[in-house]
Amino acid sequence: MEEVELDFQMPSNSVVPQSGSSDSSSQENLGTRTLHFNCPNVEQSFERNRISTGKYNFATFIPLFLFEQFRKAFNIFFLIICILQQIPGVSPTGRYTTIVPLTFILLVAAIKEIIEDYKRHRADDAVNNRLIEVFREGKFTELRWTQVIVGDIVKVVNGNFFPGDLVLLSSSEPQAMCYIETSNLDGETNLKIRQGIPATTGLQCSEDLNSLSGSIECEGPNRHLYDFCGNIKLGGDSGRSIPLGPDQMLLRGAMLRNTQWIYGVVVYTGHESKLMKNAKRAPLKMSNLDRTTNMQIWFLMVILIIISLASAIGSEVWKKMPVDRWYIDDIGSGARGFFMELLTFIILYNNLVPISLLVTLELVKAIQAVFINCDLDMYYEPSDTPAMARTSNLNEELGQVKYIFSDKTGTLTQNYMEFKKCSIAGVKYGETANQNGDTFSDEDFLERVHNPKVDQDDYVRKFITIMSVCHTVVPEHVKKLNSNSISNRDETDFDLDMDNIQYQSSSPDEAAIVKAARKMGFIFSIRTPTHVTVKALGKDESYEILNVLEFSSTRKRMSVIVRCPDGVIRLLCKGADNVICERLSPDSHFQLETENHLREFAREGLRTLCFAQTELDEDAYMEWNKGAFYKASTAVIDREGQLEAAYDLVEKNLDLIGASAIEDKLQDGVPETIATLAKADIKIWVLTGDKQETAINIAYSCKLITEKMSLIILNETTLDGVRETIMEALNEIGSEFLRQENDVALIVSGMTLKHALCADVQSSFLDLALSCKAVVCCRVSPIQKAEIVDLVKHRCKAITLAIGDGANDVSMIQAAHVGVGISGHEGLQAANSSDYSIAQFAYLQKLLLVHGAWNYNRLAKCILFSFYKNICLYLIELWFAFFNGFSGQILFDRWTISFYNMFFTSLPPLSLGLFERTCSSENMMKYPQLYSISQRAVKYNAGVFWKMFANSTVHSLLLFFLPTFLLWQDVAFSDGKVGGYLFLGNFVYTYVVITVCLKAGMESATWTIFTHLSVWGSIIVWFAFFGAYSHFFPVIPIGAEMLGQADNVLASPLFWFGLILLPPAVLFRDLLWKVFRRRFRKSVVEEVQEMEMEHIDPTNTIMQAAKQSLSEKAHLLKNMFGVSGRSVAGDIPLEISEEHRPISSSVRSLQDPNLGFAFSQEEGGVVSQSDLIRQYNSERSKPEGN
Amino acid sequence: MSRKPENTAFKQQRIPAWHPLLTAKSVFPTFLVVSVAFIPIGVVLLVNSQNIIEIMHDYTDCTSVEDNSVLCSSVRLNQSRMEETCTCQINVSFDTSMSGDVFMYYGLTNFFQNHRRYVKSRDDNQLIGQHVTQSTVSSECLPFAYLPNGTVFAPCGAIANSLFNDSFTMIRDTTVVPFLQTGIAWPTDYSQKFNNPSPVNDLSQAFSSYIRPLFWQRNVEDLDTVTSNSGYQNEGLIVWMRAAAFSHFRKPYGRLDRSSSEFENGLSVGNYIINVSYNYPVTAFGGHKRFILSTTNWMGGKNNFLGIAYITFGCVCMCIGVLLCCLHYHARKRHVVHVDK
Repeated sequence: MEEVELDFQMPSNSVVPQSGSSDSSSQENLGTRTLHFNCPNVEQSFERNRISTGKYNFATFIPLFLFEQFRKAFNIFFLIICILQQIPGVSPTGRYTTIVPLTFILLVAAIKEIIEDYKRHRADDAVNNRLIEVFREGKFTELRWTQVIVGDIVKVVNGNFFPGDLVLLSSSEPQAMCYIETSNLDGETNLKIRQGIPATTGLQCSEDLNSLSGSIECEGPNRHLYDFCGNIKLGGDSGRSIPLGPDQMLLRGAMLRNTQWIYGVVVYTGHESKLMKNAKRAPLKMSNLDRTTNMQIWFLMVILIIISLASAIGSEVWKKMPVDRWYIDDIGSGARGFFMELLTFIILYNNLVPISLLVTLELVKAIQAVFINCDLDMYYEPSDTPAMARTSNLNEELGQVKYIFSDKTGTLTQNYMEFKKCSIAGVKYGETANQNGDTFSDEDFLERVHNPKVDQDDYVRKFITIMSVCHTVVPEHVKKLNSNSISNRDETDFDLDMDNIQYQSSSPDEAAIVKAARKMGFIFSIRTPTHVTVKALGKDESYEILNVLEFSSTRKRMSVIVRCPDGVIRLLCKGADNVICERLSPDSHFQLETENHLREFAREGLRTLCFAQTELDEDAYMEWNKGAFYKASTAVIDREGQLEAAYDLVEKNLDLIGASAIEDKLQDGVPETIATLAKADIKIWVLTGDKQETAINIAYSCKLITEKMSLIILNETTLDGVRETIMEALNEIGSEFLRQENDVALIVSGMTLKHALCADVQSSFLDLALSCKAVVCCRVSPIQKAEIVDLVKHRCKAITLAIGDGANDVSMIQAAHVGVGISGHEGLQAANSSDYSIAQFAYLQKLLLVHGAWNYNRLAKCILFSFYKNICLYLIELWFAFFNGFSGQILFDRWTISFYNMFFTSLPPLSLGLFERTCSSENMMKYPQLYSISQRAVKYNAGVFWKMFANSTVHSLLLFFLPTFLLWQDVAFSDGKVGGYLFLGNFVYTYVVITVCLKAGMESATWTIFTHLSVWGSIIVWFAFFGAYSHFFPVIPIGAEMLGQADNVLASPLFWFGLILLPPAVLFRDLLWKVFRRRFRKSVVEEVQEMEMEHIDPTNTIMQAAKQSLSEKAHLLKNMFGVSGRSVAGDIPLEISEEHRPISSSVRSLQDPNLGFAFSQEEGGVVSQSDLIRQYNSERSKPEGN
Repeated sequence: MSRKPENTAFKQQRIPAWHPLLTAKSVFPTFLVVSVAFIPIGVVLLVNSQNIIEIMHDYTDCTSVEDNSVLCSSVRLNQSRMEETCTCQINVSFDTSMSGDVFMYYGLTNFFQNHRRYVKSRDDNQLIGQHVTQSTVSSECLPFAYLPNGTVFAPCGAIANSLFNDSFTMIRDTTVVPFLQTGIAWPTDYSQKFNNPSPVNDLSQAFSSYIRPLFWQRNVEDLDTVTSNSGYQNEGLIVWMRAAAFSHFRKPYGRLDRSSSEFENGLSVGNYIINVSYNYPVTAFGGHKRFILSTTNWMGGKNNFLGIAYITFGCVCMCIGVLLCCLHYHARKRHVVHVDK
């Protein structure tokens, strides 16, 4: 097993904190379960195999929904207002003026919840209704996943997911082996092998199954992915118990690969499966913007209390005045009176807090999420996957990201290897064909293969021989192309040639090499336990496999000893450059050239392997095989070590043939995306469970690390060592460059990280990491990934984004502010626990730079405007209070007030929140600098809020006092009639609605049709409502005061003169400020906008702006790092020598990573590599398993 | 079925849009146009307003005609002398004639008609002509809703209770200047909001089960001799019932009856005497009463504010417009970009 898995099982006494839920869930599941299979008589009741991730069902919707809603302080506040309004005599606005809008708003929220939950149920149904062959009543029948019950025997065919947690009984492969892909679960590249117990291996068809019955006793459902403990009893109670372990376990979420079919007994189903047990409900994340907004709502509540108190005090003062106001009934003073007044004012001013804000935000965000989902630029055609916003809470957070933590496998890479280039006997091949095709092809190369003439061609032949013979790949002859049994999901892995040979391998590198050899005409076609047969240019050549010297990450090489068709015993070896070089014979050629080529390959980010061979003397071989090897392979103590020593004895005097370069294929556009994101001042850290070499390779190939950068590699295993090297590195960087972007890349290994994350080293580690342009962490466990994210999240106060595709990324996806999952492979757990899922890493660019920045800007405007409009209207009540003896009288009609947020000003925030665009999406992508506006929260923070507050206070003052002066003389008609308080109120209200709508228009940089509708529409809606409402009474018994208002207000010339003058006068300052700002302190955005208008390409402007801030630092850095590290190696590749090695070798790598060795292979698995190849006989046809 | 999103302008966020840019260049013409339009409007408004003649007289502390040694206000302060009549005489003379419609107003200061407990203290159902009893009368009227014996006030509530009850008679030489006390309320109020209870043609019968408000000297059906201006439909009452916005307000009392040839063209130059029947106590709450005569123009009463506001805003626009214009032509020479730091 790879280390990644070990980390999952890390004992709880380790320094790494375990996630909280593990204790509770393991506690409750300590029991065991016993299940019977093929025993129709035994009643068993277990959890159904139905999963449900929905929040509600019919019965629970109303209570749960109300509970959710009234958990928010915001809604509680309005509920309290509703209740207060029921106290007789207290409410200035009647009893129902809060309850109606609140109900309306809850209704809108409820509809939104219902739609979202419906979608979840639909998605669940899609999974629940997948089909699977289940063994019932003596034959296999196709049933839905939901119909599968514990104890069922199911048949899973290649390329399909396991419907539950299964115990493997038998498979189409020898000895009940099968390959599974667990990248859903742990993100690992290589396939894993599982093997059934020998007792069940023979079950190959339905008849066999018919005669089978038994029971399995195992532990109760739990969340430990890599533990399983159980016993199987065959043939009733009398049978013998045979132990079962994780090697027999096939987990839900994994997929059967390279295996035609398996039989398995279902052990855990539905929510009891280990995958589901592991799936914690994604933690509710709150965006930065939401937090700020919450804060401001609290501020407003405090202000509300303050002005209510002040008004209540004012009321007391007014009442205490020594005059006899005989026309008003005596109102109670004293403590009770004061308290009642206070409640009155709280009700009066409650709308300072915009009641519709939350629901507006929810709606806006939900539709923004739809925009994300519908973006064609983020739709991945090949897998038919659109982007998906799984939560809409974080849309604007996407615009504020400062750190991206990316997984490697499946995120940056496609998880697909391809043979790209090679260097044979000092000559490079595959160079030319690179541009057009993505696979290896080289005319010259093929020519040499087919028509060998010179010496060089001999080497080519040898090279291909090693490619096609030295590996552990198993060929499989597929008789017919059965599209039912083979999912066409991932065509590339089922590459079929004319002979219909399919290669099975747990190492993607080896598969790539063998496939490449096949393309060159050397078809590896048959593997028997003792031989491999290669169809070399149409002629079968048989090689006898004498020994397999296994690959391990310490040996970094694997060899086979074969007897070639010419009878000579040869050792064919492939491995890392440094281990091969050590073992070359003194007269081996091309070392220098090969090394140079390796370096070139490495610079392109290719994974390199060196190929070498040697001839073994028959006698010498026999001696070794019978002597050293035999002794080692039968040793009881440290067999592994002894074997390695034995291998060492023969792997010497090698003759270097060449080197291969395999591309761990990057996803499309990864380097470009990384470059763009870097320009947007986003730091990208790669956190991978993979090996250091692979990680560095990928970092190079995706241009995260460039040749110019120096590397700091932390590979320490002790706390003191870690501390020392970190301090040393920090000194080297120098304090003045600390936490700045230096041209340095930091490579950290998991072991080092374990110590580096300790409390006392943490901050200096962070200092170091933040001083580097690129950070790559390799061999990190899922928990460590989360810890790194947490560290940056809490120490840097910056918004973090984690992106990954596997279950091993889930913890970091959940820890980060924003979690992004790579989707496309069905049912991915990472995507399911993420906040956003996209099919390609490159889509991150549009997601952040366009959607994120836009959404941030939109929401900022939307929220600010929502606050603005409410303050603007409701503060007028305060100004009016100064004139009505602080009695709590409202200036407007009660229903017009409560409909303000619902109808007359609800559309402008929506149009701001949905359709506002600062710059076009093309320019947002083209000029990542624009991202910094949202990233630095320029448009919405406490300062902006208070400015807005001041502004709207001034507006409300103007909007109250200007109409007051306008009507000070009372006489508003040519026939001498006068108005009243509500007459003034309707003037003011109309002016407020118009001002506020125009203000929304002024804030819109983009006037779509919806902006027009919302601005003018709202005004029209108010006038329409005003007209209608003025005629309700007495037919509808509300609004008696409003009766006839519209007729008279609209008939007053004063009203119309005020209408023309007042809104522009109120907004005059705002307009002027905008003009002056654009004139004197023009921002980059505004510049781009202007250029867009004039259809000029704004490149020059941006470049100038960016240069100013960059050039200075770049200059300093050049002085600093110009002479050390890789930059020199890159320039003069030949002369890599000790004096050019980095200054402090302890900081630098223990090995030179420049040559790009990387190889992935399952190590220490259930079946060893040599056992594996000894068990296969591809000449024998496999059972059909029907 | 493909999950490919639809390529619509809405979903792809490519809805055609207008991008207004608030630059000096685009804004200064607007400012100039606004100023050019607003300044003349302001001038017209101001001149119009200046042409209105308004005569105002504060008679709060006028002396009683009956007893020259006392002030009517002090008579009204004394609870025991409430029933006594007290009359004041106001002499006004004007040097320019008040041509056209002339309106008579009374003005009150420091009277909080806009107080919440005052504003709500009315029963609109009663005023629209529904019969109410102790149990159906709006509780908002309390404590001016009914007597302890359950007889409901007509009309109920604090507003009605405090109905302004001074009356004015204007005399020139010996002729009483005819002022109509109708046509002063909003037509909508008169026709829709205020109606007498049934039987409409016999008001004493209609109001027989009610009692007049505590502070009233007359029953509601006796507010005017004309039936159409009596009961709840009395325009003086209707005007009073429309609560004013501020504690300083005026309300129409009457309009000049220009049907006779003498007053066809309004009030000519001369001396006038106004006899005020001083009933309404205001000194208790520190208020003042005014008598106002005013002409109007097409946009209402004397209102300098609007004209001044238009002129001011027009001037500001003019200045800024010119400034922006200069800035614009200056700006064309150099382009500077400031990076948001």
